Amino acid sequence: MEQRCFGVGLEKQDNDLIIEQGAGFVITSIDKLVNWARSGSLWPVTLGLACCAIEMMHSSAARYDADRFGVFYRASPRQADVMIVAGTLVNKMAPALRKVYDQMAEPKWVISMGSCANGGGYYHDSYSVVRGCDQIIPVDIYVPGCPPTAEALLNGIIELQRKIKNTN
Amino acid sequence: MSNKKYEQLNDLIKQYLKSFEIVKINHRTSITLELKKDDLVEICTLLKETKALNFSMLIDLCGVDYLHYGVDDWETSKATASGFSRAVQKNTIIPDPDEEYQEKRFAIIYHLLSIEKNWRIRLKTFTGNANPPTVQSVTGIWGSANWFEREAFDLFGIHFNGHPDLRRILTDYGFIGHPFRKDFPLSGNLEVFHDDLEEKVKYRPVSIISRPGVPKVIRKKKNS
Repeated sequence: MEQRCFGVGLEKQDNDLIIEQGAGFVITSIDKLVNWARSGSLWPVTLGLACCAIEMMHSSAARYDADRFGVFYRASPRQADVMIVAGTLVNKMAPALRKVYDQMAEPKWVISMGSCANGGGYYHDSYSVVRGCDQIIPVDIYVPGCPPTAEALLNGIIELQRKIKNTN
Repeated sequence: MSNKKYEQLNDLIKQYLKSFEIVKINHRTSITLELKKDDLVEICTLLKETKALNFSMLIDLCGVDYLHYGVDDWETSKATASGFSRAVQKNTIIPDPDEEYQEKRFAIIYHLLSIEKNWRIRLKTFTGNANPPTVQSVTGIWGSANWFEREAFDLFGIHFNGHPDLRRILTDYGFIGHPFRKDFPLSGNLEVFHDDLEEKVKYRPVSIISRPGVPKVIRKKKNS
């Protein structure tokens, strides 16, 4: 577990008493609690680069309502847990994308949305397009499609929740 | 444009621009004037200032590179039932930077609109064999030309004399080359990646090889 998270003070090396009293059980339970809390309030930073952003908007609008998963779009990377890279990442944008990613507080995840963000997509051969945003930042979930439907993005969010729940 | 309007504009063009050396190309009801580049500013001013013509608005300005004009990538007559056997690899011509260009390689196209009269006209001028290709700027006539000319400069490397701020508008900071030129490689020269050790976004030579695009033709066999 990270230093900043819920379980600070319950780490093995710091507190032998808890280990003697069956700390394994306690730690596991806290991990579960923490993972539940994290996966239930995924706040993405809005990084709409192209047409995928339209589908991303649909997924958070009334019909698909991403709010019910605890997904609230934030305009600031400081307040966000997950970055949804929605659209074509071009060379000129790449340093800015990395900067936004670096500004996000740990723990953080990345969803790469659509063909262009996954691997360059239609613009793979172009002189100005990054061949996948994983060249710039580490990616957790790849959502295929051009653009992916709002359902596909929701599925990606659910997969990410599952991934978070299965950590530790 | 309606036929009546077109005839009217046609007559006015003949009347006002008769002193210039112009090739007039009429496609049904649209007019294209091919001008000499030295006359450009004078003709543009005349088209805008003349009350009878009144071309008050520059809709678009774009560059064209005619380097591979009329050259096919593949011969369609050689297609078989299984598709094209191979696509022809383009031979990229890389001209010597000191060398002069072909007379009719780069062209600039201007689309003009008269809001009052509701008619349009297209102007075309070749930049000649100068290196770098240069024409006179029309920013003094239409303000909208400013960014259009920056775009044409960025993508084709055409210089506009008298432009107030001629710098790149679209491509990456520090980009080298002019990507819409036909001799620019499709995948460019550099790609970006993140160096995890130095924690920096950096450039490296492009890692993919350009593939010729092969169209796949699926046809049913006749005897099956």
